[in-house]
Amino acid sequence: MSGIAKRCLVGVARAALAATVAMTGTAWAAGGPPATKLINVVDTRGQSGVGLSIAQIYNESFLQFGLLVVVVMVVQGMVLGFGMDKAMNLLGLDLGKLSHHE
Amino acid sequence: MDFFNIYLPIAGMQFNVLLLLLIGFTVGVCGGFFGVGGAWIVTPALNIFGFPMPYAIGTDLAHMGGKSIVSTIRHGKFGNVDVKLGFSMIAGTTLGMELGARLVMKLEHLGVADTVIRKMYVVFLAFIGSYVLYDYISHVRETSRAAKAGAPAAKRDTFAQRLHRRFRVWPMVHFKASGVTCSLWLPIAVGFTTGVVASVLGVGGGFIRMPALIYLIGCPTLVAVGTDLFEVMITGAYGAFTYGIKGRVDLIAAVWMLMGAAVGAQMGTVAVKYVRGYSIRLLFATTIFIACASVLMKQLELQVASSIFILSAGILISGVILSLLVRGVMRERSERRAAPELGV
Repeated sequence: MSGIAKRCLVGVARAALAATVAMTGTAWAAGGPPATKLINVVDTRGQSGVGLSIAQIYNESFLQFGLLVVVVMVVQGMVLGFGMDKAMNLLGLDLGKLSHHE
Repeated sequence: MDFFNIYLPIAGMQFNVLLLLLIGFTVGVCGGFFGVGGAWIVTPALNIFGFPMPYAIGTDLAHMGGKSIVSTIRHGKFGNVDVKLGFSMIAGTTLGMELGARLVMKLEHLGVADTVIRKMYVVFLAFIGSYVLYDYISHVRETSRAAKAGAPAAKRDTFAQRLHRRFRVWPMVHFKASGVTCSLWLPIAVGFTTGVVASVLGVGGGFIRMPALIYLIGCPTLVAVGTDLFEVMITGAYGAFTYGIKGRVDLIAAVWMLMGAAVGAQMGTVAVKYVRGYSIRLLFATTIFIACASVLMKQLELQVASSIFILSAGILISGVILSLLVRGVMRERSERRAAPELGV
């Protein structure tokens, strides 16, 4: 295996281990009051497009909906994060490492 | 304004998109600048505009995870995120939150949970705000005294440095981004303590963790902000999942809020570049006092006034942060323009 491939594999293994530690830990680390399950059905009449799809997933399975929420928020966060980063760079500012002046 | 109304299928109501963008933007600016989640602004703001409370908490947590990703990416590029320190604290926070939850159940069993928790919340906010403000005032006095004497300010050991010297229990770990070497048990203990407090108070804990990173671990202010956001990112992602599987997230509202928050978070994060650490602490102390006043108003049964107050204050604070950003950007640009003229 080449050096680069080995380093990538080690990086992925480290990330997977870190993610496992973080996710098992965050079961207790999330703030806010404990939420009890709601019995709720979304009215899909008159809905279309994305709203209808989301409502159908919500009505079908809360687990699928929960996973959808996480995926959408993470993907949107990353896309917007890198996108806004690029936009800020266009202002011509020096956005490199900061000195931690107090 | 009806043109901007959208139907939120899960909350089952119409809501103004501009409001969602504004709330997201405001809390994004504050969150990116202070390293906090901002639930104390979002939840009452959503509720006061008609959002059902069960969904306000979950929707806020969902968008908080995404917003913190935006801020953490930028803070990471600034070198403000100490990943090793963040993971060390999460280990302690996990256990702390579990103990905190059991303490709350014990208090409920004794029938004093509401009273104790509400008083604790006010006391904690007042203590944190006062201590940070006292620290700022001491620093300003020391600096001006030194300036009058024409000598550099005397470097005194901080509480964190004295703590590190006394508490040298294996394993000793160097946290590169923070520039701190201390026992691994210290961040775990700090995470544990902040976890207990956050769990008892029923909050995410960003406003407790940020000063704890500064005063107990000894992180520079900017690293405390970035590392705190890293933790909020992880806990926010879990919060999104746990509230999502309980059907308490309006995904469309969260998506719109995150769009506003992404812009705000980027601006709030870049603003730290132009502000010294102690100035961030001063603004943080001010924000904590405002939050304390809002909680006091709620305890006096002035729910609506409290929500309006906290949202208005949030908008005002984000305005101050944006003005610091604009001033800093203009100064940087004029310095750059002047530099070629000086032949630099």
